[in-house]
Amino acid sequence: MIRFVITRLALLLLGLLVASALIFATLRILPGDVAQVIAGTDSTPEQVEAIRSSMGFDQPLLTQYIDWISGIVTGDLGHSMLTGASVTSQLVEKAQVTFPLTVMSLAIALIIAVPLGILSALKRRTFTGSAMSMVSQAIAAVPVVWAGMLLVVVFAVGLGWFPPQGFPRDGWDEPARALYALILPALTIGVVEGAVLLRFIRSAALEALGQDYVRTAAAKGLTRTRALITHGMPNVALTVVSVLALQIAGLLVGAVIIEQLFTLPGIGRMLVTDVGNRDLEKVQGDVLVLTGLVLVLGTVVDIVARLIDPRQREAAA
Amino acid sequence: MRTLYAALGIAAISALVLSGCSGQGDEYSGSEGESVTVGLVLEPTDLDIRRTSGAALDQVLIDNVYQGLVSRTPSGDIVDTIAASHSISDDGLTYTFDINDGVTFHNGDDLTVDDVVWSLTQVKDDAELRDHELLSAVTKITATDDDTVTLTLSEPDSNLLWNLSGRAGLVLDESADNDLSTTANGTGPFTLEEWKQGDSITLARNDDYWGDAAKVGEVVFVYIGDTTAGVNAALAGDLDVLTAVDPNLQTQFEGTDFTVHEGKTTDKYTLAFNNQREPLDDVRVREALQLAVDHAAVIDAIGGAGVEMGGPIPPLDPGYEDLTSLRPYNPKKAKSLLADAGVDDLSLTLTVPNIYGTTVANVLVSAYKQIGVTLTVDSVEFSTWLNDVYTNHDYDLSFVDHLEPRDFGNWANPDYYFGYDNTDVQKLYTESVRATDPETANEKLAEAARIVAEDHAADWLYNALTLTAIHEGISGFPTDSPNARLDLSSLSVTT
Repeated sequence: MIRFVITRLALLLLGLLVASALIFATLRILPGDVAQVIAGTDSTPEQVEAIRSSMGFDQPLLTQYIDWISGIVTGDLGHSMLTGASVTSQLVEKAQVTFPLTVMSLAIALIIAVPLGILSALKRRTFTGSAMSMVSQAIAAVPVVWAGMLLVVVFAVGLGWFPPQGFPRDGWDEPARALYALILPALTIGVVEGAVLLRFIRSAALEALGQDYVRTAAAKGLTRTRALITHGMPNVALTVVSVLALQIAGLLVGAVIIEQLFTLPGIGRMLVTDVGNRDLEKVQGDVLVLTGLVLVLGTVVDIVARLIDPRQREAAA
Repeated sequence: MRTLYAALGIAAISALVLSGCSGQGDEYSGSEGESVTVGLVLEPTDLDIRRTSGAALDQVLIDNVYQGLVSRTPSGDIVDTIAASHSISDDGLTYTFDINDGVTFHNGDDLTVDDVVWSLTQVKDDAELRDHELLSAVTKITATDDDTVTLTLSEPDSNLLWNLSGRAGLVLDESADNDLSTTANGTGPFTLEEWKQGDSITLARNDDYWGDAAKVGEVVFVYIGDTTAGVNAALAGDLDVLTAVDPNLQTQFEGTDFTVHEGKTTDKYTLAFNNQREPLDDVRVREALQLAVDHAAVIDAIGGAGVEMGGPIPPLDPGYEDLTSLRPYNPKKAKSLLADAGVDDLSLTLTVPNIYGTTVANVLVSAYKQIGVTLTVDSVEFSTWLNDVYTNHDYDLSFVDHLEPRDFGNWANPDYYFGYDNTDVQKLYTESVRATDPETANEKLAEAARIVAEDHAADWLYNALTLTAIHEGISGFPTDSPNARLDLSSLSVTT
């Protein structure tokens, strides 16, 4: 087990290093730079060049990369090339919107997916079961942005139950109001991601239903539902945990789009703005943190999966 | 269907649970306590008024937070601000500004003539600062006594006062060392209270203002990039004023407490032809492209909020004349012009920043198709446009909004991305700048503009009208040219 954990951690570090190089290189392919954005449409080429060299763009790319990486090792993720704000402080500030949004979306996705996924597996031969399966397939295919617009039209503009956009400027000073502003965005991501998750849970439950131990339990007199819940659930849980790690990345992507749509001052909206401004130092810091988060979660899930699965645990021992 | 029902169920339950603390609508509104919330579209990238370009910064900070020697009204007149009065010598080479007494900065410092001299000299001397080139005719900036600042010019510059009403003439505190990127220490009726990046900018009334105090206690600018979200926010009570209302959405304000006002602008939605690139260097090809477009239909497509313009100068600017007769809608003639030029099977690419949407581009695609020209639309990020089109001049056609007032000089600059190089125009423009009386200056400008229009150097698709939705009880909000300046000193709320 310890050897497994160490291998996983080494892989994580390697992954981060590769990711940092990819992020750095990809951003350098983008046409345009922050000096042009600062200078705008009323400047001479000489002015742009002057800004460029004062920002250190005339340094070779490798030097810039090494500067960045050595900063990270010492805990300095970098600064905005425009305002000078540190990447860390900006991420912490914007995470106050994005983190709760992601957690709420995840909770909604689970609330929808777990019971309905199991139900649709149990009822797979009935009309309800196949209808549920089809609807979830359809919803899973809906783009988040379209689902969001639909929900805004119905619940914000039509019924007036939720604000159509925005987040209180005082942040979480009034928790109820902040929470309230996040419900519709979280619902949007949650429903779509929940439908995806439901598909996974349904097939995991179906697989469990076909297993010998469920049949044996049924033979002993348990109903199929009971047999699935008491004996099949641990296997379903394993699927949920592994898929969740993948879903987190999906949730973050969803958050980028949803924050645009609902004008929420979170990490996603900040990223889109920063890429537009070509504030590359900031973008690469932000993206590396997000990538790191997904990689770390993946590692944690791998380890947890091993802990909760006795077969894997024994195989390792 | 269950999933959907479940979703609806959750929505309904959450709504019930939270209805106790919902406080939607009115509670979010800022119309109480003399706070006004204004929805804007484009957020500044940074607040450094000296180094960062962009009208988004001028719009919010100039006149409200920072002030210049003089300022401009929405109709384009020059009024004294930090200067109590100004005079220009007959030869146009000496500008004398009498500075107001008792002007103070937000940090409490008194404004002195030395601050004025220092501020202008900085822009004049440092090529990295915005609008540095606008002071090129100025040779000497001196304080002649405790109340007077004199500018000496090497040659007359009929644009100088106008330029001084922009960033070049702003007066900052020589002894302050605040970070201009995130804070501001000006002399205006409002102080910069807070910038929540990616969200909003808050201005608060400057209670120690040296002039007539502002009427509202606080103004919050909320940045909403999506036009539909902006309208939704206003209708939900989150905004008191929404600027740049999408004309196609204005009917949503019918029967509400908002009134939609139409304002004039100097926004020139310009379809630029790369005058340096074949076959667009042939005036017949450019004319053909202009005649192929039904400009009234373009304006219809954008919801009607525009006026036709036939030349580079909009009605609000000096030197304007109606030149639309130079480019009547005539696809037949356009075809024969292309034939004369020996051009067939022409394929062109239109590079357009994605903030402008695709409506106009689509109209152009079908208009050009009629005359046998294939147009491919390349929708790019604004920073890509800056790199490819603006800096590298690598484009056939480009479509952007040139909102800056009095920017005819771009047509007299062969290095500008238009690539338009006409010595007659350059000569007339120089004569206009050097003119010592405004009438001559305007005549020369009009003459130059006519040549540019006759050369079909670009297609000025329309001069935008801008729509501002204002809630009942709010008055004094400027509706003309709000993209360039939003002077809120007379904004007030009646309850």
